[in-house]
Amino acid sequence: MKNNRLTPYLFLAPFLLAFSLFFILPVLYSVYLSFLTRVRNGFAPPTEVFGGFANYARVFTDGDFLASFFNIFLFGAIQVPLMLIFATAFALIIDETQGWLSKVFRTAIYIPYTIPGVIAGLLWGFLYSRNLSPLNYLLSNNGGTPVNFLDSSLLLFSIGNIVTWTWTGYNSVTLYANLQNVSRELYEAAAIDGATGWNVVRYIKLPLLRPALMLTLIFSVIGTAQIFSEPFVLRGIGFVPVNITPNTYIYQIASQDANYSYAAALAVVLALVTFAFSAFFLRYVNRSQSV
Amino acid sequence: MKLKQGMMLLIAGGAVAGAIALAQAFNEPKYQAAPKGEITLEYWSWVPKMEEQAALFTKQYPNIKVKVVNVGAGQSGTYPKLQTAIKAGTGAPDVAQVEFGYIPFFASTGGLADLTKYLPSDAKNYFVPWTWSQVSQGKAVYGIPQDQGPFAMIYRKDIFDKYKIAVPTTWNEYEAAGKKLFEASGGKVKIGNFFSTFAPWFTALAWANGAQFWKLNTDGSYTQTLNSAAAKQVANYWGRLLEKKYVSTLGAFSADFWNAVSKGEVATSMEAAWGTGSFAGSLEKNPGVGAEYRVAPLPQWKKGGTASGNWGGSTAVVTTQSKNPEAAALFAYWLMSSKASVVQGWKGAGVFPAASAGLDLPELSDKTSNPSKFFDGQNVAAVYKEAGKGVNTRFQWSPWAPTVDASFQKQMDLAVNGKQSFADALDNWQAETLTKAKADGYNVK
Amino acid sequence: MTQEPMTLPVAVTRPVKPAVKRNSPWLAVVMVLALMYFLLPLYWVLVSITKDNSQLNTTFGLWFAQPWHLWENIVQLGTQDGGIFYRWMLNSFFYSFSSGALATMSAAMAGYAFSKFNFAGRGWIFSVILGTIMVPSTALTLPIFLLINNIGLANTPWAVILPQMVNPFGLYLMRVFWDNGFPTELIEAAKIDGASDWRIFWSMGLPLVRGGLITVFLFTFVAAWNNFFLPLVVLNNNEQFPLTLGLSVWNNTNTGRTPQYTMIILGALVSILPLLTAFFTLGRYWQGGLTTGATKG
Repeated sequence: MKNNRLTPYLFLAPFLLAFSLFFILPVLYSVYLSFLTRVRNGFAPPTEVFGGFANYARVFTDGDFLASFFNIFLFGAIQVPLMLIFATAFALIIDETQGWLSKVFRTAIYIPYTIPGVIAGLLWGFLYSRNLSPLNYLLSNNGGTPVNFLDSSLLLFSIGNIVTWTWTGYNSVTLYANLQNVSRELYEAAAIDGATGWNVVRYIKLPLLRPALMLTLIFSVIGTAQIFSEPFVLRGIGFVPVNITPNTYIYQIASQDANYSYAAALAVVLALVTFAFSAFFLRYVNRSQSV
Repeated sequence: MKLKQGMMLLIAGGAVAGAIALAQAFNEPKYQAAPKGEITLEYWSWVPKMEEQAALFTKQYPNIKVKVVNVGAGQSGTYPKLQTAIKAGTGAPDVAQVEFGYIPFFASTGGLADLTKYLPSDAKNYFVPWTWSQVSQGKAVYGIPQDQGPFAMIYRKDIFDKYKIAVPTTWNEYEAAGKKLFEASGGKVKIGNFFSTFAPWFTALAWANGAQFWKLNTDGSYTQTLNSAAAKQVANYWGRLLEKKYVSTLGAFSADFWNAVSKGEVATSMEAAWGTGSFAGSLEKNPGVGAEYRVAPLPQWKKGGTASGNWGGSTAVVTTQSKNPEAAALFAYWLMSSKASVVQGWKGAGVFPAASAGLDLPELSDKTSNPSKFFDGQNVAAVYKEAGKGVNTRFQWSPWAPTVDASFQKQMDLAVNGKQSFADALDNWQAETLTKAKADGYNVK
Repeated sequence: MTQEPMTLPVAVTRPVKPAVKRNSPWLAVVMVLALMYFLLPLYWVLVSITKDNSQLNTTFGLWFAQPWHLWENIVQLGTQDGGIFYRWMLNSFFYSFSSGALATMSAAMAGYAFSKFNFAGRGWIFSVILGTIMVPSTALTLPIFLLINNIGLANTPWAVILPQMVNPFGLYLMRVFWDNGFPTELIEAAKIDGASDWRIFWSMGLPLVRGGLITVFLFTFVAAWNNFFLPLVVLNNNEQFPLTLGLSVWNNTNTGRTPQYTMIILGALVSILPLLTAFFTLGRYWQGGLTTGATKG
């Protein structure tokens, strides 16, 4: 059989070209940038010189950046599990029920996924506003005081709510799709063993969902590290700290302070930390699957 | 009754000033020759109705078209975009709006053209001197001053009348008025709003109290003092009002803020001259039931004082990326100094001109058009003109303005939420900004 | 927050419904409560677009007010800033479609190479690409921006389209589809008949992995449509903005001009209509893609 040795590379070429240009090269470039520091001389634009690990040293002493990490850890520890619990519950509910309500439910909870984060932030921004929010309207007309959803003690929860609203349905439908693959024999076998209702959920469905849940978890963790649009649009209605997430902080350093080399160092650290976290989870998934 | 008479006097005074001004001819510069050929300039500005103002230029110079683009106000739009475009080396407009406080920042990026070679040598004579020094660094000129932002107090006359409160002239009276309003309205009506996310707003108030935040030393280094006694007096004062719930902390220019103002829940707001344009533009269609807006001088620390500060005040800069810097410089210069443009700027957006002849224009006192019309015919320009005289014009800025703003928001949020005192907030603001500026390579003490 | 499309390792067997279905009233209550939560903001949107700003300010947000201003808002949306809204919409379409098409094609080709050929570097190249799935794409945005500047693409549509055509997960998905959907024997038979590699890929293979193509396209399209950070950083010219960026600028620019909140809300609604429509008409691919992709037992 004649097989041109170049053929597979030709098939690979478009992807690899784009991948190298817009994935590998930016990574290498930002690693390079991250080793530069700025020297200023009066009013002249700063010159960039090799500064070794100076930017990285700054990263680990930068309280604002560390705080932004703390925020997403908190987020990951509260919002992600909550969202996945709801998503799993909804998936089980869809799987258990039938009829029009079940269909409407399945379709409707997916809708927020089709709404861009920035638009979701904008809409929720109105619902969070102190004076325009119908929730606050109800509150103040019934003798309560309006809630400031952007108060620093509530802000993370308010952002978490937008993210939960957007992604729960999507995750539910994904998990539900996995449940559909459970073979009938398994249920029949369970029925013969006398398993009913909750037992089927507990001993058959949940264990089957486990690998899917793990992947959902990883993608949610990666997603959490990327939160940007929601806090960005909420700035229009109240105080949102520039370091609410690592991304908003990096954006601030680059596009407001114009310190691109420090921003590059921050981006490198963020990428490494997320990568390490996801790799850790993924290993965990693989191990639990092989058992 | 007494108030009304005062009002009448003010209006009459405005009319007299207008009449005197009418006698003087508008001193319009002799402009440099316009470049030939079809030229299109791009101008980034968030001034309302700027398209109409820029169109006047094209009427005068038909071969130069101007495309006005609004990419968002200051830090929430124009500045990051402009800065990234400068960094990118492409994508910057020919001309952009930059506030005085951000001139050093943008000048230090190297992306602004020095206008001295494009402007007639006498250009500076046509502008209020301190505004010109705000755009100059050494011999270089990095922008054409557009407006000034002297500070005064916009208030709801109907609310003051209803609760029988005299317009406060000192901060003590202001606090007393706040107390009275709070008690009489069951806490519903606040005397004012503390703009905890706008460092330049606070800066203007501290400025009015004699604070000087930055100083450029002769050796090229900077000295920063954000936590002087004068600044702390201002911060502590607002902190106390907040604690007593006399003032609110609604986001500046947010839907919430305009909503509260129109519903009569906020009785006053410390605003720059251009704020009159914002009020007129934002509340025109929804002023609130029975609302009567007026402007009074900024309350004073010393009875009988006339001090004021400055918030914003913009310029038009020309970027080094412009392919038509001559045309861009001419446009910027004409836009800020010609009579037609200055008049349109005031009526369209409350742009209180930096052009010295502009201040005497009778059109500024025109009661039948905004912003004065919105203030029921009060000659608001006259109030701000007086306020402008009380501004310490030697105030200097730093090139790390974005850091200053971000840190202010953070520290003030802690203070507003009771996690630190307002005096501590200023100390931390100073310390944090200093650390970051140094880490960014600035020579600052 | 952005997420990758998910395909999950599940059994090869076609979905079989469990025999037992229950409709307990408790589950119905839970569903109704959840529906209220998920649909409340959208209901609020439908109410708000019929109001003008002062009604938005003064009337109860969850009920209609008289008179209606829906038509005014529609007209305003079409004329504000020279009718730029629909230009943004067109841009969003163009960017998302181009990214989606390029991503799908390049992933299909590369997936084919990994699935059907043996070549030097096959193992490690695939591992490297797969490993990058876990690098958050926003961490790359600023480096991409700096790089794009250096190659002169900043402020061009390419700056938005090209970075989004790189979809490592799409490649993974396509490989799985090729592995399962296009038997190698078919290729060998075709080669004996003298068909070229390209012809085999294009005419014989692609139709068999159509489900995968549509899934990759849909998810890339949605990700591009929803993207905000990348256009925010790489685009300066408002005529090039996609909807997400344009609306956020409008939302931030209320100083001094009468705030057009209800028009902006209408804009938000209009901007989600295309994806909603796509979701309802292509729903079966959408959900299909969630499972059938990873049938790699």
